[in-house]
Amino acid sequence: MFIQLLFASSATLTVGCALGVLATKNLMHSCIFLLGSLMGVAGLFATLGADFVAVTQIMVYMGGVVILMLFAVMLTGGKDFISRAQNLLGLPSSMGNKWTYSVGGLVGLVLLLTNIRLISNVMNSHAPKVIGDEYPSTVSQIGHLLVKDHVLAFEISSVLLLGALVGAAIIARPRKQK
Amino acid sequence: MMSLGSYLIISLILFVIGLVVMLSRKNIVAILLGIELILNAAALNFVAYSRYVTNNLDGHIFSLFIIVVAAAEAAVGLAIVIRFFQIKETIHIDEATQLRN
Repeated sequence: MFIQLLFASSATLTVGCALGVLATKNLMHSCIFLLGSLMGVAGLFATLGADFVAVTQIMVYMGGVVILMLFAVMLTGGKDFISRAQNLLGLPSSMGNKWTYSVGGLVGLVLLLTNIRLISNVMNSHAPKVIGDEYPSTVSQIGHLLVKDHVLAFEISSVLLLGALVGAAIIARPRKQK
Repeated sequence: MMSLGSYLIISLILFVIGLVVMLSRKNIVAILLGIELILNAAALNFVAYSRYVTNNLDGHIFSLFIIVVAAAEAAVGLAIVIRFFQIKETIHIDEATQLRN
């Protein structure tokens, strides 16, 4: 019962906050809606029995990535926030215009219809397997898998993170004005 | 209510919303937000298949690597956004035309 409640609330939070990211005009509010959507996805991970992934999602995504994005929004306000120029649709210029919205809506609609077709095939071919209510802890198994079967990907991801952080620091460093 | 299909539908909705955000917004940070939504949809699919189909933990490992790659992508992307803002004084995507000619 608790799992059902968690699933329903997490699904509502995920989809509703994703719609908020799409619809809101203020970029700061958009980041906060993204925070809610990531929280919903973490709840969905928890209902799937993926406790370690859920906690990692909360710590890395919500504690790291979204905070980084909030800092980027605050550092790059600039004249987009001051002038608030409006286009034909009455939206601020950072929201796009009617052409971008129609193209985005068309592509989204095509993708939605084709994927619903694919998913209905999956749902018809697989009989719903009854999964028990046991949720064993996955942390020790994930630790063993990371240092036994997937150790190459683990090491490569550490090198990737090092390269990304050094590259980000080099790209964003202040330079002397010419 | 909780089945593979419902998770796939939630993930599909998340993916489509992320794609529409990516295509229709004109702000570079908003485009990065759309990319984050798409990556989350992929990770949710991996974990759902891992529970309902394969019954092992490889999907969890893959979701963890998706989170790592998303963190690296956000760091580099936001560094580029801040550098772009230092040069152009705006982060509107239509101003990014330096590589056109």
